[in-house]
Parts: sequence; C-alpha cells; structure tokens
Amino acid sequence: MGAHLVRRYVTETETEPDPAKKFEFDPQFGFENRKEREMIATQEQMNLAQLPIEQRDYCAHYLLKLMKCKRDNWPNFLACKHERHDWDYCEHQDYVMRMKEYERERRLQLRKKRIEAQAEAA
Amino acid sequence: MRNTTSVRQQQPVNMAGVGFRRWAQALSKGKGSGISALLSGSRAASSASKDSLPGPYPKTPEERAAAAKKYNMRVEDYEPLPDNGEGYGDYPKLPDRSQHERDPWYQWDHPDLRRNWGEPIHWHFDMYIRNRVDTSPSPVSWSTMCKQLFGFIGFMLFMFYVGEKCPSYQPVAPKQYPFNNLYLERGGDPEKEPEDVKNYEI
Repeated sequence: MGAHLVRRYVTETETEPDPAKKFEFDPQFGFENRKEREMIATQEQMNLAQLPIEQRDYCAHYLLKLMKCKRDNWPNFLACKHERHDWDYCEHQDYVMRMKEYERERRLQLRKKRIEAQAEAA
Repeated sequence: MRNTTSVRQQQPVNMAGVGFRRWAQALSKGKGSGISALLSGSRAASSASKDSLPGPYPKTPEERAAAAKKYNMRVEDYEPLPDNGEGYGDYPKLPDRSQHERDPWYQWDHPDLRRNWGEPIHWHFDMYIRNRVDTSPSPVSWSTMCKQLFGFIGFMLFMFYVGEKCPSYQPVAPKQYPFNNLYLERGGDPEKEPEDVKNYEI
C-alpha cells in the first residue's frame, strides 16, 4: 500500500509509470497473439438505458441485465443477487486487468533501463 | 393665615390644613431647582450641584486632594487623565480593565455591573460592561496563539502544495472504454474520423 508512491517519488523516479501519461510500449510487444476486448452491449442499447458515461464500459451488458432484473422484481430489492454478483465480478476483473497493465508497463520500463545500462557499461 | 395648629385648645385639628401649611413653608425655604423641588419639596438625587461635577484639571496638591475626595478615591490612588486638550478635566484615570476581570463571586452592590455604590466610574465604563469589550487575559500569550495559528495554517498550506506536486494514486492503468474511448458519447463530431483506440485483454 503505497510502495508505488515511494518508487515513483523517491527511489525509481524515472521508471515508475505515471497513469496520467500515455503508456509508451506497443500493446502487442511480448505477446504472441493478444486478444481484443469484446464489447457486448451495443451503443443503441446503452443509449436506450440512458447509462451515464462512466458506466459504459466493457461490463455494461451485465449492468443492463441487472437493471432489467431490478425493474422486473421491484419492490423486492433482495431479488437480483446473482445479476449483481455477475456485474461486480466483471468490474473486479476489469480492475485486475488495469493493475496488470500498470505492472506490465513498470516492468517494461525497468527492462528498458537495464538494457540502456548494459549498453552504456559495454 | 393663622391656622388651628397654633391654638392650644381642645378643638379638632384640620390635618389637611396642617399638611398644606408645612408644604408651603418647605417650599419657601427649599433649595431645590425646578419642577422636582416644586413637587416634592426636596432635591432629587439625580440633579448634581456644581461641586460634585467634574471640574478643571487640578494643578495644586490641594486641588488634587479635593478632586480625589470628590471622586471617592484615596489621594494616593487619584491620577487625573492627561491634560491634552481632549476635555477630560480632573476626571480620574482608572485602569483600562473591563468588568469581566472583576471577581464574580464577591457580593457587589450592582452584581451585573460588578460595581459598588459610590465607586468611581471609568471614562469608558459603557464599553467595559460585561456584554461588550472584554480585556480579560487569554489562556495563552499572544505570541503563542499567533505561532500556533499561523503554524497550523502554514503547515496545512505546505501539505496541500506537496499534494499538488506529488499526488497520491492507485497503481492501476487508466480505465479502458469501448467505441474509441466513447468518442460519440463524449460529443465527438460524427462526420470526423475518431482516433483509433484498441483495448486488449491481459
């Protein structure tokens, strides 16, 4: 908790990635065949449901199912546990992917630095 | 006109007449001024004679003694206000302390004013009543208060500055959105081609 802040501001200021800036490495670098993320809910569906922009991500189809379930089962607010769990799990996986992207960027930066150090030493 | 009271006889006395006569005598002898004397036959306590009002600045020791006596003060305690043209006259210089500083538990004659009868009144007594200006000492000295307040404010400003320069964040990449980062939903021009954004699984 906060080790990345220490790395960013104190110990490894050049290599620790800044999430505000664009990541510089090619997404396919190091992967044989990287699969694209699939968007299941269509723009038209999201527009009809009037989803706010922050919720129009790659888990929107689960959210739409949850909203439909809630509307169908009102006033039983305890009814949609399964749908809610599905949506939550999808969001969790999305967050884990974000963490992995950050870590990938960090390791690639360190690798780049190592290569440059070797080139200089040689 | 002679009345029945001067005659020592066993005759009934007209008491109303007695009262009227006494009133008329008192009136003719009375030293009072104006309406109050006319109605009561004696002086009202609120009207002051010349010797109880403030006078000119005292120059000789005798004048000082007389002024001190006038204000119910000891001669050692009496100090007139400075004679600098502001028109104080011989009014005494009393300490600039408000009534908040006086003992709350002592049995004052006027408890709300914390003052006894006959006590000399400060020039600015109306400012120093307990509803108004309070000169009682603060729990800590002025310098300590200043240091603590400005120290705290300075520290907070410094920490906010540090937070701007080195913000805290979670070690995650930015969130990925579909449809070229929601180009149309964010108000992008439908005619123009958006910048291509591809998101991959990891």
